[in-house]
Amino acid sequence: MGFNIIFNSTGIINFAQGEFSMFGGLFAYTLAVSLSLPLYLAVLLALVITALIGAFMERLLIFPLRRASVLVAIIATIGASIFYKSLGRILWPKEAYKVPEFTPGNISLPGATISRQSLWVFGLTVVSVTAVYLFLNHTRAGKALRACSVNRLAASLVGINVARMSLYSFILAATLGGVAGLANAPYASYSIGLFLGVKGFTAAVVGGLGNTFGAVTGGIFLGLLEELIPGFLTVVLGVSTGYKDAVAAVLLIAVLLSRPQGILGRGVVEKV
Amino acid sequence: MLEIKGLSAFYGNIEALRAVDLWARAGRITTIIGANGAGKTTLLRAISGLVPVRYGEIRYVGQDITNLEPHRIVKMGISHVPEGRQVFSDMSVEENLMLGAYLRSRRRDGAGIKRDLEMVYGVFPVLEERKGQAAGTLSGGEQQMLAIGRALLSRPRLLLLDEPSMGLAPLVIKDIFSCLKRLHEEGLTLLLVEQDAQIALSVSDYGYVMRAGKIRMEGEARELLGREEIRSLYLGEEAATEGVGDGDQV
Repeated sequence: MGFNIIFNSTGIINFAQGEFSMFGGLFAYTLAVSLSLPLYLAVLLALVITALIGAFMERLLIFPLRRASVLVAIIATIGASIFYKSLGRILWPKEAYKVPEFTPGNISLPGATISRQSLWVFGLTVVSVTAVYLFLNHTRAGKALRACSVNRLAASLVGINVARMSLYSFILAATLGGVAGLANAPYASYSIGLFLGVKGFTAAVVGGLGNTFGAVTGGIFLGLLEELIPGFLTVVLGVSTGYKDAVAAVLLIAVLLSRPQGILGRGVVEKV
Repeated sequence: MLEIKGLSAFYGNIEALRAVDLWARAGRITTIIGANGAGKTTLLRAISGLVPVRYGEIRYVGQDITNLEPHRIVKMGISHVPEGRQVFSDMSVEENLMLGAYLRSRRRDGAGIKRDLEMVYGVFPVLEERKGQAAGTLSGGEQQMLAIGRALLSRPRLLLLDEPSMGLAPLVIKDIFSCLKRLHEEGLTLLLVEQDAQIALSVSDYGYVMRAGKIRMEGEARELLGREEIRSLYLGEEAATEGVGDGDQV
C-alpha cells in the first residue's frame, strides 16, 4: 500500500519503501530493548520516527526534484535506499535483532497452533487498511490525495497544494512501511529492507500498481503462494523448502510478463 | 481586473509567449482567438501559475500574481477550466464538484457550498441527474459542464476557459455558450480562449487575435467579427473544417 500511495500521488516508485520497514523494526528494538521503554510506547515512537524519516526524505530529496523527470526521482529513491541501508548497518551492525513479541506465547487450537504474534500481525493489517480506507474516502486531505492521483493538473487547478500532498503521501507510506517492519518482528535487521521491499513491490504489482487496495489482495495472494508452493514441492517432488523467498520474484516476473496491469488492475474508466 | 504586461514564457528554449499585453476588464467577456499552437493555452496556464513566466508581469485586481503557485491563484478568485476538461474521471460527478470547493471546505462554509452546488445543478440539470456516476463515463459535453461547474464551486471572480467548444457538437456548443452568457450576466468576468472564432466573438465584448506567441490584433468583438482579414483567416478556416470534429464525445 505504501508503494501505491506514493506512486498514485507523485508517479514515483519509491525503492526505499522497504527501508522504512527496516527503520520501523529497528527503532522499536532500540526503544524497547536498549532504552527499556514500555513496548507500546516504543512501537508508537518508532512509527513516529519512521514517519519523520519519510517526511525528511520528501522535503530534502523529492521536493527539490519536483521539476525534474519522474525517472530522476525514482533513481534518487534507489540512492536513498542504499543510504538508509548503510545507515542502518552503522547504527545496528548485528545481523539480526530480536524485538520482543507484543504478547509472547502461542494459542493452541484443535489441530493447529497459532502464535499470538501472528494474530497481532493480522490485527495490525486490518486496522491499517481500514484506517487508510477511511482516510482516503472520508477526510478532506484524503480526498485531495486521491484527486492528485487521478489528475494532478486538475488537482492544482481546484486549489490543492500538490507539493504538500506529495509530502503527506511520503509520511503515510513511511508509517505503513514502519507498521510492516513491526509486523515482521520478532526479527529486525538492516538488510531486511530489500527483502520486504521486493515482497511489498510484488504485492503492489500483482494487485495492480496504483490500485491501493489491490495491494492488500496481492499481498494475501503472495503470502498464500509462499506457503503453498514450497509445501507442494516438498510433498510432490521431495525438494527442500528453501525456495520460499523465490516465490515473490517468480510471481513478479510472471505477472509483469502476462498481465502488467496486475491481476486486479483495470484501465481507467473513460468513455472514448 | 486582469492586466498582463510584456509577458514572455518558454517551453524549454522555445519562446511560447512573446511580450504579450492583455487586459481583461471586470464584468466583461474577453476572448483570445487564434489557430492551434498560437500560445493561447500557454497564456492561460501562465495566468494560473502552471507555466513559469520568464519576463513580464500579471496583475489581478491590482496585485502582482506573477509566478504564484496555482493553489494561491485559485484562492485569490481565478478559476481555470483547462483544455480537455480534465475531470477526475474515476470519481463521481458530485465528488468532482465538491473538490472544486476544496479551498472553501476548510473554512467550514458548508451552507455556502451547498447553495453553490444547487446553483450549478440549476445551470446544468444533467449533472444533478448523474451526480453519482463516474465523471469519466459522461459525454464530452457533460464533462465540459462538469469542468465549468467544478470551477464555479471555488466561487471565482474571474473564470478562465480553455477551448470549451473543443470536440463538441454544434448544438452542445450553443448550449455551453448560452450558459456562459448567463453566468456573465450574473456578474462573472470571463477570459475565453477559442479556436471557434465565430461563436467566441459573438458572445464577447472584446477580442484579441494571437499568432506565434504574439498578440497580432485587438478590438471590440463586434468590430473584429466584421474585419475582412479575420473573416478570411479564422472564420474561413472554421468553415473549411466544419463537419469534421462535430462528434459529441472526445
